Amino acid sequence: MEGGGASTVASTPLVEIDDLHVSFVQHDGLVQAVRGVTFHVDAGESLGIVGESGSGKSVSCMAVLRLLQSPPARIEARTLQIGGVPVMRADKAQLSDIRGRLAAMVFQDPMTAFDPVFTIGQQIVETIRAHRSASKAAARQEAQDLLARVEIRNPDAVLNSYPHQLSGGMLQRAMIAMALSCRPAVLFADEPTTALDVTVQAQILQLIKELQGDLRMGLVMITHDLGVIAETVDRVIVMYGGKVMEQARVEDIFDDPRHPYTIALMESMPGQEGGRRRLREIPGGSPNPVSPPAGCPFHPRCPQADAQCASEEPAFAEIGPGRHAACWRVH
Amino acid sequence: MTGYILRRLVSVAVTFIIVSVIIFLMMHSIPGGPFDHGDMPLPDAVRERLMAQYGLDQPLYVQYLRYMWAVLQLDFGVPFQSPGETVLELLGRAWVPSLVLGGLGVLIGAPLGMLLGIAAALRRNSWLDYLASVVATLGLTVPVFVTSMLLILVFAVWFNWLPASGWGSPTHWILPIAAYATIPMATYARYTRSAMLDTLNKPFVMVLRAKGLSENRIIFQHVLRNSAIPMVTVFLPMFIGTATGSIFVEAMFRVPGLGAYFVTSIRTRDYPLEMALMLMITVMFCLAYLISDIVYAWLNPRLRHGERKG
Amino acid sequence: MSTANAQVKIAAPAALELKGLGKSFRLKTGGFFRPGYVELKAVRDVDLTVPKNAIVGLVGESGSGKTTTGIMALRLIEPTTGEIWLDGENITTLEAGELKRHRRKMQVVFQDSYSALDPMFTLAQIVAEPLHIHGIGSAAEQTDLALDWLERVGLHRSFGNRYPHELSGGQRQRVAIARALILQPDVLIADEPTSALDVSVKAQIINLLQDLQEDMGLSILFISHDLSVVRSLTDTVAVMFNGRIVEQAPTEAIFTDSRHPYTRSLLDAIPVLNPRHRRARTFRSRDELEADKPQIAASDLPGGPAPSEQPRLVTVAPDHRVEAVVTQ
Repeated sequence: MEGGGASTVASTPLVEIDDLHVSFVQHDGLVQAVRGVTFHVDAGESLGIVGESGSGKSVSCMAVLRLLQSPPARIEARTLQIGGVPVMRADKAQLSDIRGRLAAMVFQDPMTAFDPVFTIGQQIVETIRAHRSASKAAARQEAQDLLARVEIRNPDAVLNSYPHQLSGGMLQRAMIAMALSCRPAVLFADEPTTALDVTVQAQILQLIKELQGDLRMGLVMITHDLGVIAETVDRVIVMYGGKVMEQARVEDIFDDPRHPYTIALMESMPGQEGGRRRLREIPGGSPNPVSPPAGCPFHPRCPQADAQCASEEPAFAEIGPGRHAACWRVH
Repeated sequence: MTGYILRRLVSVAVTFIIVSVIIFLMMHSIPGGPFDHGDMPLPDAVRERLMAQYGLDQPLYVQYLRYMWAVLQLDFGVPFQSPGETVLELLGRAWVPSLVLGGLGVLIGAPLGMLLGIAAALRRNSWLDYLASVVATLGLTVPVFVTSMLLILVFAVWFNWLPASGWGSPTHWILPIAAYATIPMATYARYTRSAMLDTLNKPFVMVLRAKGLSENRIIFQHVLRNSAIPMVTVFLPMFIGTATGSIFVEAMFRVPGLGAYFVTSIRTRDYPLEMALMLMITVMFCLAYLISDIVYAWLNPRLRHGERKG
Repeated sequence: MSTANAQVKIAAPAALELKGLGKSFRLKTGGFFRPGYVELKAVRDVDLTVPKNAIVGLVGESGSGKTTTGIMALRLIEPTTGEIWLDGENITTLEAGELKRHRRKMQVVFQDSYSALDPMFTLAQIVAEPLHIHGIGSAAEQTDLALDWLERVGLHRSFGNRYPHELSGGQRQRVAIARALILQPDVLIADEPTSALDVSVKAQIINLLQDLQEDMGLSILFISHDLSVVRSLTDTVAVMFNGRIVEQAPTEAIFTDSRHPYTRSLLDAIPVLNPRHRRARTFRSRDELEADKPQIAASDLPGGPAPSEQPRLVTVAPDHRVEAVVTQ
């Protein structure tokens, strides 16, 4: 698994999700969070998943690490594998392999992501020793090197700090160091900068990008922010209402968005032009996950929708080289 | 640290003085005196001689100051109801059964409750969870004398396995200990369950899973430790509260403990014993809370180290 | 007080004016066993004017003091120094009764409207509550007006019978705006009202605020960390850093002609919406930015102010002020 890359042949992707469905049993009904999502991540590749809350972007990735408690989660998929390990049928040893060695995850709010009663050092050392037999001293030295690797200037002091003693930016660096401690083949970053200040966000994004290149590691950047996507990834999938709307190289998405949802999302971004102005807004709100609309999930808000969109679900079809979209208007 | 403890000890002393004044005043403001016996009145002369002998003819503040001066030298006087010994001797004698039974009750009940709470939290909506909530609800709502009666009825009367009352051999202890254990067990079962569930829902638990730690390690190293911090702090006050004897339990099982004296000393206006009991309880609770606070701060990095370094 | 402010005052009193506003907190340091305190100056000497019929952005990162400034302006916490003027009246030391009368003129919307909406009340009751508090109109009139306002913020009248938990984040924010504006205030303080919203809903709320501002001639103090939103919504922007305003200018001047190093670092950090324009950035710590005081020669400044060692806000262009050291 060293650095992902070379060992994996292009034909078998590092992460493969085919027709993933995730729903949650709740008292008010069955919440259909993910409704037939298909995507893959190649070794060393960076993929951005952009979507709003409720789009299913985080849930899809948590399914890969089997982080969804079942019940209440119900998970079905034609294929769900990472590094050749079938996620749904993984035994204890394989599960421990998936979590930490094959894949690691960085979460949104670094302030609540560490156990408050242990030092940062103890928590990184614990991660290293859960996957490899290393002496405490050796693991600690490694933890210190990792903190230096994520550009923490006084790694020794940070190792001995408790989470509440550090700033959000510092904690997110430590979280990334911890995620890297077992050299994962792919890093899932779930809104890693949403809780951070603007300037800290830029630093963390740059750090993740650099590390991804240096370690030739796969990266899945999950975000609601098209700016974060534009800054960090090679390829993008756009999710809405538990489905994938569009998939393309990052340049293509920004140069020439095809799906009406992607277009609307781009146009509604504030601050693109100077001067106080009204923005292009997307009318309405997100679909209800308990009773999602028939046909295309975006059709109730879509300016181009017609009767077909409301009744028949568009297939996720190739619309150009390396580009896919699920929309009757662009097929 | 020493500064903090000194400040807290001063506040214990202040509390001690305030409580002593209040109890002293309350005690003396209740009509009647120790030598007023309705059914067998003492001749006035005798009563006055007794009052003078115990200093009860002096103004209240003189009595109070005299008393406190003596207390500072650990002289709590002689209990009126048992003049053959000092108050300290009486307390030392009567406290042993209460300490043994109540103390063991907490020492056994609290860990049992904790285990039950953990099991309930880990197996939500299983029979264990329902058992825990039944135990917690019953333990906290059924009065301890009802529990005691039930225990006697079942184990002493029906099955005849254990003696119903007395203070002879350790077999006598089992039922009262069980009666005492119900409340700490219920309290701990309830709080441990909710604290565990609370912690299990914290985002850092998801991170621990994503790191690939085993579920056992997550539960016992992280979740339990976070949940236990508040639980540790209620232990000492609970211990003090139970190990000073319950009048109900001791009456039920006819244990010659401290509990009964709380009532008899008030009823018979046994001022020295009553004061000693109240002051003892006050000091023990103050110290229990002080120690709990220190332990809490020591266990909780946020308090131990203060806010961010930089 | 700059001369620019003085001129505004002659013309017409500003809607909201903060003069030399400051707030210090006693901050606990050290551990439980070795307590210590330091005085933290959360806000220092803030001069800020929200003119009538305009949206002023107050921008900064966490710890900049922008939120503290906002809740001080509302007098929800008391300032340590300085004055708050609302519609030409000093409200800094008003007692509760008189303050209540003034509160009608200044309302607030927060980021987290869910916790601000009482879950036991219907939306009509929630929106009508300010009328109730101030004893305006009969119960029927209050409900009527509340339903009108629900409509005005883009919700159907039938929402009046619903409860907060039935709403999406965007809808809740609309309700919070309706409740804030039902008393026809002159000033609205909006503290990160769009930060918790989804991208597709954010634009709706920004547009709603734009429209209501224009219709009502409202003055809005818009507190945000999001420079992109601020660019689309505000007329002028004040940038806060370490408790002080370090730059203030018409919005476009901030984006195209910023003078303060901190403002520039903020702008530089905004993600660029074009993957072809990716670049490696160099970052400067807050301490470095704090130490880097712009030096401006007195002769380059309009009016030629006296030189001073102490950095202070100086006017470098019309309505454009920057914290700088004025040199010979």
